[in-house]
Amino acid sequence: MTSSLLAIAASGAAAAEVALDVTGQNIANANTQGYVEEGVDDVEVSSSSTWSTANDVSLSGVTVSGIVRNADTFLQTNARDTASNTAGATATVSGLTDVETAVEDSGVFKAIGTFQNALTSLAQNPTDSSTRATVIQDGQSMSSAFQIAAQSLSSAQTGLQSEVSNGVNQINTLATQLATINTQLSATSGGISANSNITTSDRASLLDQRDSLLDQISQFGNIATTLNSDGAANVTLGGVSGPPLVTGGSTNTLSATVNSDGTESLTVGNAAVSLSGGSIAGNQSALTTLGQISGNLDSLAGSIATTVNTQQGNGTDLAGKPGAALFSGSTAATLTMATTNGSAIAAAAVGSAAGSSDATNLNAMNTALGTLAPASTMNNILTSISGAVQNATTTQTTLQTLSSAAAASLSAESGVNLNNEAVNLVQFQQAFQASSKMIQTASDTFTAIYNLTSS
Amino acid sequence: MTTISSTSTASFYTSASEQLSSLQAEVNAVDNSISTGSQYTSASQDPEAAAQMRMLQLQDSEASADKASSNLASTNLGLADSTMTSMINDINEATQLTNQAATGTLTDTQRASIGTQIAQIQQNLVSLANTHDANGNALFGGGVSGNAYTLSASGTATYVGAATSQTVPIGGGQSVQVSLTGPEILGMTDVNGNQTDVINTLGALSTALKAGGSAAQTAASSALTSLQNGLDAVTTAQTVIGSRESWVSLNAQNQTAATTARATEESQIGDTDVSTAAIKLQDLTTALQASQACFVRLSSLSLFSELGN
Repeated sequence: MTSSLLAIAASGAAAAEVALDVTGQNIANANTQGYVEEGVDDVEVSSSSTWSTANDVSLSGVTVSGIVRNADTFLQTNARDTASNTAGATATVSGLTDVETAVEDSGVFKAIGTFQNALTSLAQNPTDSSTRATVIQDGQSMSSAFQIAAQSLSSAQTGLQSEVSNGVNQINTLATQLATINTQLSATSGGISANSNITTSDRASLLDQRDSLLDQISQFGNIATTLNSDGAANVTLGGVSGPPLVTGGSTNTLSATVNSDGTESLTVGNAAVSLSGGSIAGNQSALTTLGQISGNLDSLAGSIATTVNTQQGNGTDLAGKPGAALFSGSTAATLTMATTNGSAIAAAAVGSAAGSSDATNLNAMNTALGTLAPASTMNNILTSISGAVQNATTTQTTLQTLSSAAAASLSAESGVNLNNEAVNLVQFQQAFQASSKMIQTASDTFTAIYNLTSS
Repeated sequence: MTTISSTSTASFYTSASEQLSSLQAEVNAVDNSISTGSQYTSASQDPEAAAQMRMLQLQDSEASADKASSNLASTNLGLADSTMTSMINDINEATQLTNQAATGTLTDTQRASIGTQIAQIQQNLVSLANTHDANGNALFGGGVSGNAYTLSASGTATYVGAATSQTVPIGGGQSVQVSLTGPEILGMTDVNGNQTDVINTLGALSTALKAGGSAAQTAASSALTSLQNGLDAVTTAQTVIGSRESWVSLNAQNQTAATTARATEESQIGDTDVSTAAIKLQDLTTALQASQACFVRLSSLSLFSELGN
């Protein structure tokens, strides 16, 4: 009898010690990213005696059956998906803001206005060389502004493209790590309990790592996951119908290709992937907008050059010669002044003599530019990009709220609450003390019986 | 088991940090709008307002170019006006002299002397017709550099300016010719109905008076009618210039009114309403202070600090 009390007391003390260890582990990992609060699953041990008789009392104490890992798959998936969408929106906002800054800070809008004003002012005194020089100077400023915008857009594009390839590398690295974790999970599947929440401490740590890797992958691209019975996660990229990225212990490589228009296409193996979340999706969407803005700027620069050059051809310059093209190049990046000579502006009508004060062709050029309304077109380009930034920011704010809420519910369910752990600490310490007291009692009882027999 | 906080400890700190930094960001935004005086720091905060602001500023810069053109037109028209007044005075003087020459009591010598005076008046008229504008170009020559008229040794004046006067835009889609050409002012029909101009009429008269004889008196009589026609032509031209001047001045007033209206609109769209912003700042800082106090109180509620006492 006393030996069984000792055994029961020892099992109780051991169980309380494990529980204290787990509490300590929880406190230590209170701020660890992806750590899921652990508990101890205790099971009562009662072995029937060899001679099973009626009302037999045969108690053997308690044993620890495993670690309770308090993970809610639905909350995890929800938090992961909303975080993935938020990462996508954040990348879009950041990319589009770069585009906005590039176009806005280049000062194209203002330069167009200044150039047109210089042409208008030339009508005051068409033969004046300093006024003509101003027109040429303002034309140069305008083409420089276009070039700056094109260069800034190009470097924003390079930046976004390298973010995409960085994201692709990250996904491939993380996928390889996940495959390794999957293999280990399969190898340790012998430890799976009937209740999927109860597991060994090794597997609990592997499962934490698995979930953390899934979270990290979804930061770059949205994924859909299916969990095998052994805990290994299969991942498809770009949603449920997307191509498989990780299947058990094997991975497919994600690769990105730059298209001719500067946008990026993704493939896993040979299958095309379209992402709807994650930072790569955000980068891709910003690249598409950048391409459109860049195209609009090019056609604006081209149309200004064509309008001015065509009108030049209809007139006579200050030297009495037929007007030659003022601009060369037809894109924002290539637009330059073809001449630095103010006399080359064909202000006078065809057939006018050298030094003519006639401004017929100049007025026609101003009218043609007024009809083209390049400043208004530029204003529309700027408004469309800043509108896109505003929309993306609103979307990002909404998704951020959803994501924070999902993360908070997940954390409330499976995160560590230090106050709870303080209560656990007191509770298990008391249990340990009680078990120690039981050992003392068993020892005292044994001593009493021993003294009885020896006297 | 009752829990003190319904969420995990890490989540408590994360959300506290998110809330405090979002309030802080709002406070900074209001502070920035007050200190810079403009409501927006980037176009994406309000794309529509930014687009309006850009177009208003473009119109401002167009208006400043138009104002320069308008000032030029006003200066040139004023100069033309006063020059034409001098021309009218000259023609009147010539008419008086011609009246004397037309009376039969004068001797040939006296008529020759009047002829010399009239030749002088012709010279004056040519210089007046060759007046230069603010840019140093021929005022009555359509803006050509140099002179509008050349005078040959024999006293024949030839117009060498451009066919039309310069036209400049003066804002609001309006444009105006900044002067008239020589022939538009001085062109006239003589007593016989032939097309000529005042300068050459005076030249012919001067030559005839200097030649003397009875033809001189006849020439003077018929020149009286011609000079009256010339005076009418110049006076009519001056009326045209005068009405253009008042048109430019009216348009300038309209443009100034439009500029003022634009400035008001720009201010309404882009400037910070300081009193509203100040109240918002007060509101936000109160909320921020309260949130900070809450965080300090809540974060000190740890069971661990009570254990072991």
